[in-house]
Amino acid sequence: MKKKMIFSEFFRNNGVIMGSALMGLVGFWLIFLVILPQLSMLDYSFRFNLPPADVGTAKDVYTLSNYEHLLYGSDKTHATFNTVDLMVFVRTIIAAIMVTLFNIVLCYPLAYFLGQSKGSGLARLLVVLLIIPYWINEILRAFALRIIFGDSGLLNETLMLLHLTKEPIDFIRQDIALYAGLGYAYILLMLFPMYNVIESLDRNQIEAARDMGASWTRIHRRIVIPHAKPGIVSGATMVFMLSAGALAAPQILGGPSSLWFTQLVYQWFNDSLNWQQGAAYAIVLLISTILIVLTVMRIFKVNMGDIGK
Amino acid sequence: MSTASIIRIALFAYLAIFFSYLLGPLVVMSLTAFNSAAFPSVSPWACYTYEWFDVLFNDKHIKEGIYYSVIIGLGTVALSVSMGLAASIVLTQVWAKFRSTYYTLIIAPILVPGVVLGISTLVFWDRFGDFIRAGDGSMLDGLFHNGIFLTILGQSSFIASYCMLVFVARLQRFDPGLTEAALDLGATHTQAFRKILLPFMRPAIASASVLAFLASFENYNTTTFTIVKYKTLTTVLAQKVRLGINPSISALAFIIIMMTIILALGFETYRRNNARKEAVRLGKAKESKGFLPGFLTGNPAAIVLVLVSFVVISMIGTAQSYSPQQCKAEVLAAKKAEVAKAIKALKLKRTIKQQSDSLKGPDIFTPDPANKKGSFGGVFDPNNLTNEEPAKPEAPAANKKPASGAFGGVFDPNNLQKD
Repeated sequence: MKKKMIFSEFFRNNGVIMGSALMGLVGFWLIFLVILPQLSMLDYSFRFNLPPADVGTAKDVYTLSNYEHLLYGSDKTHATFNTVDLMVFVRTIIAAIMVTLFNIVLCYPLAYFLGQSKGSGLARLLVVLLIIPYWINEILRAFALRIIFGDSGLLNETLMLLHLTKEPIDFIRQDIALYAGLGYAYILLMLFPMYNVIESLDRNQIEAARDMGASWTRIHRRIVIPHAKPGIVSGATMVFMLSAGALAAPQILGGPSSLWFTQLVYQWFNDSLNWQQGAAYAIVLLISTILIVLTVMRIFKVNMGDIGK
Repeated sequence: MSTASIIRIALFAYLAIFFSYLLGPLVVMSLTAFNSAAFPSVSPWACYTYEWFDVLFNDKHIKEGIYYSVIIGLGTVALSVSMGLAASIVLTQVWAKFRSTYYTLIIAPILVPGVVLGISTLVFWDRFGDFIRAGDGSMLDGLFHNGIFLTILGQSSFIASYCMLVFVARLQRFDPGLTEAALDLGATHTQAFRKILLPFMRPAIASASVLAFLASFENYNTTTFTIVKYKTLTTVLAQKVRLGINPSISALAFIIIMMTIILALGFETYRRNNARKEAVRLGKAKESKGFLPGFLTGNPAAIVLVLVSFVVISMIGTAQSYSPQQCKAEVLAAKKAEVAKAIKALKLKRTIKQQSDSLKGPDIFTPDPANKKGSFGGVFDPNNLTNEEPAKPEAPAANKKPASGAFGGVFDPNNLQKD
């Protein structure tokens, strides 16, 4: 009965019209755009890929076969593992983690610099410069890197001009272009949360520590990083989730022989037209990335409320 | 050298590296838009040209993509801003125990991979149509399989979370006493909302709308699943980039970059100008009497803005009359000479090899490196072939020319006219 009371209070506070408008909008968003679609995808992933005529008949039963396919491939005896897809999965997760770490290392000094030089002209200019690439389409950014990393791209031409290498290096085939592109794509989502928390750090704390004779590394380890932790974790969460779920960068910058897990999902949907199988793969991706994020948040003792600040 | 100066140098080196990583690719991409070479590159610079802008403006796929992107963007703004506003208002009133669960629910869509959101939207509305038995051909059935409808819903599901974050930040400074006062004075809830809360939220609504539109405009992961039969700018671009690259994409990127820079500078100028006026009003700064107009003094952003607009205008001006025909003819002649040389070298190699083969016998025959490169491309799938082919600098130039011409014609009829 408690629930009813909350609702009546809500309507008393907002009036009937406004209250129902608010409830309607939030309800539509959460139920029809978030919860039900995810549930229906989950349900879908446990079904066979049947021709339309068979849907709803006795054949339309729940099955684990879509998930078994990820583990064992088309081998019905389950003797061998589906090494191709599993390797893609593991590689995606590990690469996303590496990209995240790379971004943390690259962004931390700049976030500290910007956060501590409050409102100076240079810092303002740098922030404006940072925002510009963020407004450029993800695809165009990947395309820009493709121009640079291509066989006759700028990087290879420069290396050959300097006689550092004789043959062009195949950056795309070796996935260097892909990792650079993923790091490039979401770097600002790491920088801004970090910058926001470091900006709120009281400078006096750092100066006090310095006066007490703390070394430079010690100041960062004991004062700045603990203070910036929510920002770092929130940035890391976003970068990790987005790079694990990235589709454009792997499609454009990925080598011909190596795939990203989202590309497998894409293939099941658009090439094989097996939505059920694709849904199962998407569920695996979603659940494993969420588990990793929750584990990291548990380890570093950060709440969900810190995300997105 | 003191430690302080070492740290200073290290800091500047680091800043230089960071910003060249961030901006370098964009600069290179912009430059390729002006190179007449059919494959976007800067290093063998052929001719300075505007022809790729022509190609871009005549590309009907891109035009169509922009059209649908704008429609979807507007729909997404309307839906996600209102949902985000409602969600943020509810957040301030929700039962305390339920608050963190509720916050997790409304923030979660940001963290869900876009691919998953796209798939779930597609699957859900397909099944929802079945569930309410919207038969084939009925209006609802058409709606639930309509790419624009699905894309607006799919994008709104996470863009609303972004909007919600913007609103929450603003709502924290709202004094609920104002609404209470209005209610006490006899306003209805709807009136209080329209007259008190909405005007207060207006700046946040404006920035959330811009954010939502941009996020929608550049979204790819969700859109590529939900768009079905239609196309947006991003899906058109992705298709073009995957199937074969030509510098008209760089030209588009250049236009977007210039627009971004001008907007950012304009905003910065406006902000600084206001700050300066405020300072003058308070008597902290003197009214300027320099030879520069008032809004330019002490405002580097304004100066840069004027310079950038000047460059853009002069570029558009010269583009009307400039023609690189002469230069192109020279490049073509140089290329022909190169091709002839390459063929000659190849022939020479072949005769030498044939001689040595006949001496050594066929069993230790190893493929000629030049041949190897040619057959190499066949290993990957056809899409990659088109991408890789023009990129081979070592491959005989004879191969290079027709290949780029051929693939250019495949995806863009306008290219053909250019050739």
